[in-house]
Amino acid sequence: MATPPPPERGAHAGVVAYLATSAGVLLLMMVFGLLMRAEQARFVSLGAQWFYQLMTLHGAGMVGIAGIAGAAIMWHFLNQYVALSVRILYANLALFVAGVGLVLGAVLVGGFHGGWTFLYPLPSHSLGLWSDGAAAAFLAGMLVIGTGFLLLQLDVARAIVAGYGSFARALGWPQLFGRDDGRAPPPTVVASAMVTVVNLIALVVGASILAMMLVNLYFPEFRIDPMLAKAMIYFFGHVFINATIYMAVIAVYEILPRYTRRPWKANRVFLASWNCSTLMVMFIFPHHLLMDFAFPKWMLVMGHIIGYLNTVPILVVTGYGALTLVYRSGIAWDTGSRLLFLSMFGWAAGAMPAFIDGTIRVNYVMHNTLWVPGHFHTYLLLGMVAMAFGFMYYIAKPSAKTADGLADRAAFWAYVAGSLGFALAFLYAGKESVARRYAEHLPEWVPYDRIGTAFAVLIVAAALVFAVRFLARLAHARGDQARAGAPQGAAA
Amino acid sequence: MTAPPLRNRRLWLAVAAVFALLALPPARAWLEATMTRHMLVQMPLLVGLGFALGHRLPARLRNRLLARAGGPLACLTAASFAATYWMLPRALDAAAASAAADAAKFVTLPLLIGLPTGLAWRALGVIGRGFVWTNLVSMLLFAGWLYIAAPVRVCNSYLLDDQAQAGWWMIRIAAFIFAAWFAALFAGRRRGMMAMRGRRPAAPPRRAGLLPAAMPPFRMQ
Repeated sequence: MATPPPPERGAHAGVVAYLATSAGVLLLMMVFGLLMRAEQARFVSLGAQWFYQLMTLHGAGMVGIAGIAGAAIMWHFLNQYVALSVRILYANLALFVAGVGLVLGAVLVGGFHGGWTFLYPLPSHSLGLWSDGAAAAFLAGMLVIGTGFLLLQLDVARAIVAGYGSFARALGWPQLFGRDDGRAPPPTVVASAMVTVVNLIALVVGASILAMMLVNLYFPEFRIDPMLAKAMIYFFGHVFINATIYMAVIAVYEILPRYTRRPWKANRVFLASWNCSTLMVMFIFPHHLLMDFAFPKWMLVMGHIIGYLNTVPILVVTGYGALTLVYRSGIAWDTGSRLLFLSMFGWAAGAMPAFIDGTIRVNYVMHNTLWVPGHFHTYLLLGMVAMAFGFMYYIAKPSAKTADGLADRAAFWAYVAGSLGFALAFLYAGKESVARRYAEHLPEWVPYDRIGTAFAVLIVAAALVFAVRFLARLAHARGDQARAGAPQGAAA
Repeated sequence: MTAPPLRNRRLWLAVAAVFALLALPPARAWLEATMTRHMLVQMPLLVGLGFALGHRLPARLRNRLLARAGGPLACLTAASFAATYWMLPRALDAAAASAAADAAKFVTLPLLIGLPTGLAWRALGVIGRGFVWTNLVSMLLFAGWLYIAAPVRVCNSYLLDDQAQAGWWMIRIAAFIFAAWFAALFAGRRRGMMAMRGRRPAAPPRRAGLLPAAMPPFRMQ
């Protein structure tokens, strides 16, 4: 017979603020995405300028809000093991809002539409479509958002060192390299330590390239090597967006055990996988540079090999762990646990197109097609965003016995079907060599866009239900009530 | 905690000795002969002397001075402004060309940058210090690029290749500082190190009763 779960802690007001912001911004960004697909499908006529403005906002907004949602999950659970600073939590949110204000001003007022990747030298070569001021506001906005996350990660680092002595211990090195005394840090601490290491490095590199580009904007004679700029931007961006899912997966480690009444322990395999990924996440980004033949060959080879290897450790360990946890546990499914379990599939399935695209010969043909948006939309929609919505459902659940309504069940299946269809429309279009980042599509491409748009409507409708349900139950998010239903055969 | 007076006396003597050594004409001439030595050896050493003084003052005096100065944030802001001036190539040129500007450098770097930072250092806390380190690393990377990418000489006193060399050293120093800072995070506090060696038990989680790891062992149905 299974054993009852430990008492539950409600979310801190700051975490609730993060989640409410995430719900609203996610929904808004999804609407922007829908508009872009509708433009390509010729259902609406926004014009190229608006398309690229929306694309810039959608990209920057999704990366930023994935960071905020992931940070909320990490903070909520990590704060149960170490003492985190509430002031820093709020400071990050305030800086995020300030940064978003600058980005919105740059795009909506200044007309900046150089993409979230702000690849050098595009921001300073607008051909009169936006001013240097607009580009500077965008870059400064990113810098402000990055500063907030830097403070948050520094606080996490401080708290981990205070609670566990060192990062080596927080990553389980004594158990990994010495005798396994069974006292390895919990998965939440291991994951938070890993995220802190990679994010601190990424944010410092990001701040450097943003400062360099700001100077270049006003003093163009200070040239940047475009390859160096691209490598720095992709290092920063790729590590940061990867880190969001490593933060969000903490929800899976913490919540699924409560539903199944089975603990998720950090054993040696688990520790080895997270330690390997700590290194590999930082060296995988060159798989976005494989088309840049002028890059040093060793970097491209490294991107290829690490791209293959990085797919395996955490994903297999976490995916397999989730399967064994749920198998014959008698779990009482609800929308929260369903979304969290779905995220394992999304993460695994979403990594596969990247795995394929990470092969240099394939990359030459596929990288500039819709195959790549197919990869990261699978990974994010069915993986990261599913974790975020799953956590929202869980934390705002009034009691363990609260049953899902018809709307919740319908929204879940609509989200699954919509996300799968939406991502597959991208992937299939990519296979058919439909170019990405084009506002206007050839007539032959439009059918894929129309199918994608229809599925996007489903996603937005489902996300609306998720967001409204969370906001309607906001008062319950702070309570200490039990939320996970008892599995079959367990004492309630 | 107040540092023992004898140790403080030795420290002040050491600070005075290094300062005097740096002020000697042959040392000045040698250090200011290249941009790299001027910017990355002499100037940081002067800042470091002021920092050591501020950091190692008896706790009561340090806290009183810190309070008078307006707290750690005010000290750091003052230090940033002073540092901003000395980061200007024009200031470097002036120090190399004029004895008065050089004398001002010998006074202001320890007293306006090093001393306030040293006073504020403990009060900044781990997050504040981490922010200073990470900001220093990104700014060194940025400044390094600036010196490498500049198409013209930024200082009249130094040649273009000297300038580029200084830029590359800034990048190397940034990488070293970042690696050392990370190594310190991994090595951790003494308690952590001892626990790693098995002398003390692992730090207990803050709320052990709430943790999934503390859940009773499950049994299959």
